[in-house]
Amino acid sequence: MILLPRGNPVKEKLNPARVDLPGALGKLHQGSFTGYLRFEGEEETGILIFERGRLVSALYEDSAERWVAYDAIGRIFEVSLLGKTTLDIYQLSPELALSIHALLHGEVLYRGQELKLIDIKGLLGRIREERLNGCLRIYAGERIALIFYDRGNALGFFHDGATDIETTADVSMSIARLPGAKIDLLATASFDELQLADLQASADLAALWQRARARVQERRRSQEAEEGRALEEREAQRRRQVLEFLRDTATRHLGKVGAALTDKEFDKAVSASALMTEATLVNFYLALGKAARLLAGASVVTRMLEEMKSGVKSLLK
Amino acid sequence: MNLSVLQVGLWLIAGAVSFYFSLGNARVWTSICLGFILILVGEIIPAAVPFLPGLDIPQVQAMGAIIGTVAIMVMTHGFMEYYVFSRTLEVEGKRRFVYLGTGLVILGSLGFVLVNPVPSARTLEIIQIIANANWVFLSLINIDMIRKIYLNVKETPIAKAFLAFMVVFLFIFLWKGSLLYMQVYDLQALAAAYPFRFEFSQFCANLGNVLASLSVGATFLYLARLLR
Repeated sequence: MILLPRGNPVKEKLNPARVDLPGALGKLHQGSFTGYLRFEGEEETGILIFERGRLVSALYEDSAERWVAYDAIGRIFEVSLLGKTTLDIYQLSPELALSIHALLHGEVLYRGQELKLIDIKGLLGRIREERLNGCLRIYAGERIALIFYDRGNALGFFHDGATDIETTADVSMSIARLPGAKIDLLATASFDELQLADLQASADLAALWQRARARVQERRRSQEAEEGRALEEREAQRRRQVLEFLRDTATRHLGKVGAALTDKEFDKAVSASALMTEATLVNFYLALGKAARLLAGASVVTRMLEEMKSGVKSLLK
Repeated sequence: MNLSVLQVGLWLIAGAVSFYFSLGNARVWTSICLGFILILVGEIIPAAVPFLPGLDIPQVQAMGAIIGTVAIMVMTHGFMEYYVFSRTLEVEGKRRFVYLGTGLVILGSLGFVLVNPVPSARTLEIIQIIANANWVFLSLINIDMIRKIYLNVKETPIAKAFLAFMVVFLFIFLWKGSLLYMQVYDLQALAAAYPFRFEFSQFCANLGNVLASLSVGATFLYLARLLR
């Protein structure tokens, strides 16, 4: 989970599986877009940051790993095609976009500290003393605020809905007062040290997209094959259960010969490869009834078949 | 005491029950039932009602014996089919082929009798001996086959009916065996010299006949009850 304030929403809750992402990224480039794209899944988050149309940062995290740059773009394409994420687009100022870029690639000094348990004055004093470039992230529930520092001096705040670094601390303070509020301290490189290559210019996004599509298709194929095997196994197990029930019922009415007769007629009438339904058993009941009339009276045979039908009905539910 | 009228009455009941039973049941039962009906037609009626028109015609007498032979063969075929079913659990064949096949055999036999010289007394006696020999040996075979069927289906509701059929064939064996014995040794001609053997054989034949007809009727009634 990558914790960032939402910024000024351009589009929210899009399904990226229905979007031609390389084309969309190209349009953002042409439109000199500044802001970030957030791909949010159940356990994974992808962030693409644009600064004046340049794709300056790509990050992808799941519960186990973290990818950056081209690898992150590839992963984002893949999970998008799988339909496992939603896409939100937020607009920011160029300074804020770069600050977030710096933040995402910075070093986490403290993570998830309970705000009420720490000496906040002492922490701020240390930031000043060490002339830290970085950010304090305060969050409670879904509400997040960032406080940026440059060489130990507070630059300003970034809250949900803002497009630029602000100087008022109201929102940050209100989040800090929420029950269960936590704080992270992250050290970042200074803007001068940041490498701001345009990933879109240096990578063939169309090729990355095609590779992601191929991987997704391959995964879907293997998933379908796996599901097919599981379905076959379930069907075989259901078949065994039904046959066992039919055999037991026949044994009760006709003895061992009834069980053998059931096996024989079941094999003949019910195809092993077809999905078993009550309709597929109609021929079985007919053939079994006919043969059973050589071993028992009509009333016994009818009772046996009725028991079989009602039992199978509940088994096939 | 002349048992002929009683015998024909009992065989009529057995024939009627077995005919009724053959309707709506599987082909194997058709063969077995048809066999019992043919006994009535081929042997019991001519023996019990000697004044029926045409019964003195040698060809008719020959056909009576031949139909009797066909009867035991059709029955044996039926039990054989049931035995195959009890082993393989395969039900096959159609009822109409049983009727058609039996009818063709009888028609063929009629043709054979008609194209040949009029049967003499000796010819008729030989035909009777052949018929009774068939009955005796096929009865024994049927008893063994029915025993095997019983073992195969002994847990089914119908199983006890096969024990009853074993008893039926035991009585038929007694009946036809006694007749065969008298024919082979020509005891009728030697009745004065061997009165006990003749009387006893005659008694066994009549007793076997009555018991067979009684047991057939009872067996089919029992079978009908089991298969209700």
